[in-house]
Amino acid sequence: MTALVSHLKLLETESIHIFREAAAQFRAPVLLYSIGKDSTVLLHLARKAFWPGKPPFPLLHIDTTWKFRDMIAFRDKTAREFGLDLIVHTNHDGLARDINPFDQNPSVYTDIMKTQALRAALDAGGFDAAFGGARRDEEASRAKERVFSFRATGHRWEPRRQRPEMWTLLNGRLGKGETVRVFPLSNWTEGDVWRYIALEKLDVVPLYFAAPRPVVSRDGQLIMVDDERMKLLAGEKPEVRRIRFRTLGCWPLTAAVESDASDIDAVVQEVLRAKNSERAGRLIDHDQAAAMEMKKREGYF
Amino acid sequence: MQVAALREEIAVAPALVPAPDTSGMVRLLTCGSVDDGKSTLIGRMLWDSAAVAEDQRAAIMHASQNRALNGEKVDFSLLLDGLQAEREQGITIDIAWRYFETTDRRFVIIDAPGHEQYTRNMATGASHADVAILLVDARHGVKRQTRRHAAICDLVGIKNVVLAVNKMDLINWSEATFRAIEAEFRALAQSFGFIEIMAIPVAALPGDNVVHRSATMPWYGGPTLLDHLETLDVGTERRDAPFRLPVQLVLRHGDVRGYAGTVASGRIRPGDRIVDARSGLGATIRRITTMDGDLAFAHKGDAVAIELDTDLDISRGAVLSEIARRPINADVLEARLVWLAEAPFDPEAGYLLRTATDLTPVTSMSISALVDFETLASAPAHACGANDIADCRILLGRPASLDLFADLPATGNFVLVSAVDGTTVAGGIITWAQAGASAVGDNVFVLDREMLARGLCSDLGHSPADLAEFHRRAQEAAILLRSVGIPVLIEI
Repeated sequence: MTALVSHLKLLETESIHIFREAAAQFRAPVLLYSIGKDSTVLLHLARKAFWPGKPPFPLLHIDTTWKFRDMIAFRDKTAREFGLDLIVHTNHDGLARDINPFDQNPSVYTDIMKTQALRAALDAGGFDAAFGGARRDEEASRAKERVFSFRATGHRWEPRRQRPEMWTLLNGRLGKGETVRVFPLSNWTEGDVWRYIALEKLDVVPLYFAAPRPVVSRDGQLIMVDDERMKLLAGEKPEVRRIRFRTLGCWPLTAAVESDASDIDAVVQEVLRAKNSERAGRLIDHDQAAAMEMKKREGYF
Repeated sequence: MQVAALREEIAVAPALVPAPDTSGMVRLLTCGSVDDGKSTLIGRMLWDSAAVAEDQRAAIMHASQNRALNGEKVDFSLLLDGLQAEREQGITIDIAWRYFETTDRRFVIIDAPGHEQYTRNMATGASHADVAILLVDARHGVKRQTRRHAAICDLVGIKNVVLAVNKMDLINWSEATFRAIEAEFRALAQSFGFIEIMAIPVAALPGDNVVHRSATMPWYGGPTLLDHLETLDVGTERRDAPFRLPVQLVLRHGDVRGYAGTVASGRIRPGDRIVDARSGLGATIRRITTMDGDLAFAHKGDAVAIELDTDLDISRGAVLSEIARRPINADVLEARLVWLAEAPFDPEAGYLLRTATDLTPVTSMSISALVDFETLASAPAHACGANDIADCRILLGRPASLDLFADLPATGNFVLVSAVDGTTVAGGIITWAQAGASAVGDNVFVLDREMLARGLCSDLGHSPADLAEFHRRAQEAAILLRSVGIPVLIEI
């Protein structure tokens, strides 16, 4: 093993340890499954932690109805293949009010269709702990995040209520009204996630690999036209370009990059040479300064 | 005991035990204040080792120019501006985690504030580190703060230390001054348990000896900071360390039970005899299982599940160990701790001791001394609060399997948890422990479920909200009893 493969083994065992601590300490955990590469690694580690049994918790997907079609197909195939319980939750009230990523400001859309939907789904399931795939390297407001991240009533994240974590000891004793987000991938980087996917030969959504796809260029970002709901602006005309995605979300809000990386090895190479930080491809983060910090306080991760 | 241990050594031929390759990742604590140039040093290291993304690089160039610095000069500290922003806003100073890698190693940078009022943050950050960079300003040399930082690193078990003597450019690159600072530090470090100390003269702003070798200090023949971090050996476990596996949970699959956990110390293989220290029951390891297949050996750090030839009927909190050298089944212990909570220690409050995977009720606890980490002197005391380092004595409601931190850090550390609101109030290391002191004697009042359900909690059902309320009332009742001097053990 080269040095940069052996560290993946260390990250893997650390994540398994976290999964087992959470499963032992919380009454009703759930895994927030968002179908992307981080969720793929998260689920794989959960399977390792409880093997030969299945993970003792369901998967929860917040479906805004605007995910790429390839993502939904991949989600259903994955749940079937591993025999896992999958809960799909959509904010039907938001849907009825026609809340969509074209007509609303991205932060309003995200709040209603993702954050509020997530809170409602967690409450409905009575879950006291939710595994998420967030990494501390994603951006500055996550650099201080705990492995067990405590949420007060209403899923609010309050910096002052976060507990110090020493050594590998994880304290999951809940106070009144508290729930927890658990982040087993805290110490992973984007490069680690891709190298691990390559090392463990994991299946990921095909959108991560370059292929000719229809896109429009809008404000310097390439937006893929995934279905007929695309609202084209005057003068916009979809053209086919060779693209892939570094991150996956709602297709109208997720920018593609032009790339020739059409297999896992090429993607790993591209990521390790990357010149832009990963979240540059997510339109919601540009919407306001310190956007993530705000979303976190409101309960979006 | 010695003979048994020796025999095991012979039985396990080194050639059959490939040591796990843990060289790929190093967790690095940076201690020091902004005034010492800490942010600039780390920022410079990230910048020069190409660990900065292009969009971030451009933003920092831009911000540096905005701050009207010299046109070409880059403000490297902007790469680590998180903590400074917090300080300006007057909110909790926290630990920030950052990641970078070179072709040889993956690094985790744990950035903790250095001032005395943030001792708890630094201790928390240090507990995760393999190596600490202690930064001193070459103009000022070793300060009281340096001594305190070294003491905190030692307390939480760091064995590798780098003394980075910064701002060499401001003392005319003087070798004599550097050597004097190094000698002074080595002298004070004698009171600590560091295995390796490396002193490096650096100038973070121009970048000398951070990533690139300095042309102005030809008298220094040692490695640059990054060279040293890329090559240092962080595998500190003794070859003959005794086996420990704190059980996290029991995985049941059909009739088979797998005791799942991360090996905290030593190694094990199928056929070895192990014992559950608490019950004294022994068994033979049948298989070591993982999703990737059975293992011929499990080493420190491996996350595994163990199948035994007989069912020991043990659960989370048990520590599987080798037969010859077992953990202590302690119900009384002494410890050194750092107080983390805003609320000070309260002898009447309910606390729980969280060791590796166990959670044990504390029946009584007392502070015996406060330690001044700048003079290393201790003074008798009965109280402690946020940021204090204190020695204490703890009586447990039932025995827990644990080790002394100096022998086995992973089973010799703990955090103290508030039984009322669940918060983590202190973290500490076990310095002495004893079995059979029997904390639960005639004088301890045992508050059990039945007693509470009969009266105080007779209105409560079994919903999660009612159960939480049940626990809350139990804790409040215990607090009232303790306040009149009755030791209480809650058994619910």
